[in-house]
Amino acid sequence: MSEFRRYELLTALAPIFDKEFVVCNIGFPSQELHGLRDSERFFYMLGSMGLSSSIGLGLSKTTDEKVVSIDGDGSVLMNLGTLATIANHAPKNYTLLIVDNGAYGSTGDQPTHTSQKTSLAAMAHGAGIESVHEVRGLETVDKLKECLASDGPHVIVAKVSPGTPKVTPIPLAPAVIRDRFRAAVAAG
Amino acid sequence: MNNISQDLLAQLKGNGADFFASVPCKLLGDLINLLAADDSVEYVPVTKEEEGLGVCAGAYLGGKTPVMVMQNTGVGTILSTLGSLGLFYSLPITMIISHRGSPGEKIGAQIPMGVAAKPLLETMGVPTFSFSDSSQVAQVAQLVSHAQVAQKPVAALLDFNFWGQA
Repeated sequence: MSEFRRYELLTALAPIFDKEFVVCNIGFPSQELHGLRDSERFFYMLGSMGLSSSIGLGLSKTTDEKVVSIDGDGSVLMNLGTLATIANHAPKNYTLLIVDNGAYGSTGDQPTHTSQKTSLAAMAHGAGIESVHEVRGLETVDKLKECLASDGPHVIVAKVSPGTPKVTPIPLAPAVIRDRFRAAVAAG
Repeated sequence: MNNISQDLLAQLKGNGADFFASVPCKLLGDLINLLAADDSVEYVPVTKEEEGLGVCAGAYLGGKTPVMVMQNTGVGTILSTLGSLGLFYSLPITMIISHRGSPGEKIGAQIPMGVAAKPLLETMGVPTFSFSDSSQVAQVAQLVSHAQVAQKPVAALLDFNFWGQA
């Protein structure tokens, strides 16, 4: 079986987003998603590592549409309190998708603790989140569809292989990303 | 319950604030209790100041007018987030910051960040204003509107004298 990385996962996920609003993590994840499919309903993070889950949480309290934060294992480890805040304050339209490749991909694939002893799914459970799902590779697609069709908050930990194809920086200015995304949310 | 906190919340709301995140401080206790009980605003207690800025950023993207309520000790940890999220994306987030380490402080460890908070915020380019009298509540709340004009995070530092606890 060929290697299934975040890029292969995003390739499978990009077409399924419709009315959902997506907050995508800094670095390669945003660059990969933008390269696969661009949408004004995608908010690309250009900085502030660790805050995809938090930005999505704030957003989810302002809209009835589904909100998906695409995050990474290294990023969630940088903002672990977010899991407790999600458990206690995230609304039902919120889904956190942690793409867990066990590596700090954007900085050269240094291993994260999830490649060893640490389970983010167990931590999410411990934080008090009820709907937590650990899946592998392509299983993520059906699990995400299932979560988007039901009340959350949901956390999906999608195990994939590390590595990234050649990607290019996002050519959009931050104010452009901000304004078109706000306009999309305002339009519903 | 002190009237300063009631006044402040009413006037923040009067300037359009409708979404709050907070990290606690003793000086902010009354304000935080009011927020938790106020059904007319969205309120998210968070675990760390950067997380709060992220939540406020998301709220702004969703059309809300966010306020981050925090202590100045957290200023040291949010500088990078202020830069790469708040300032880079031009996000109007009002920061209501209790200014520990100001006269009236009883804990020595609060002094270093008490001194550093304002210059650090100003170094980042965040419009920062200090208030020492509760008669200035209206000027503090006006920063919600100022953030919209500035299109960036703005900060109010409220010291022990402001809260009548010097």
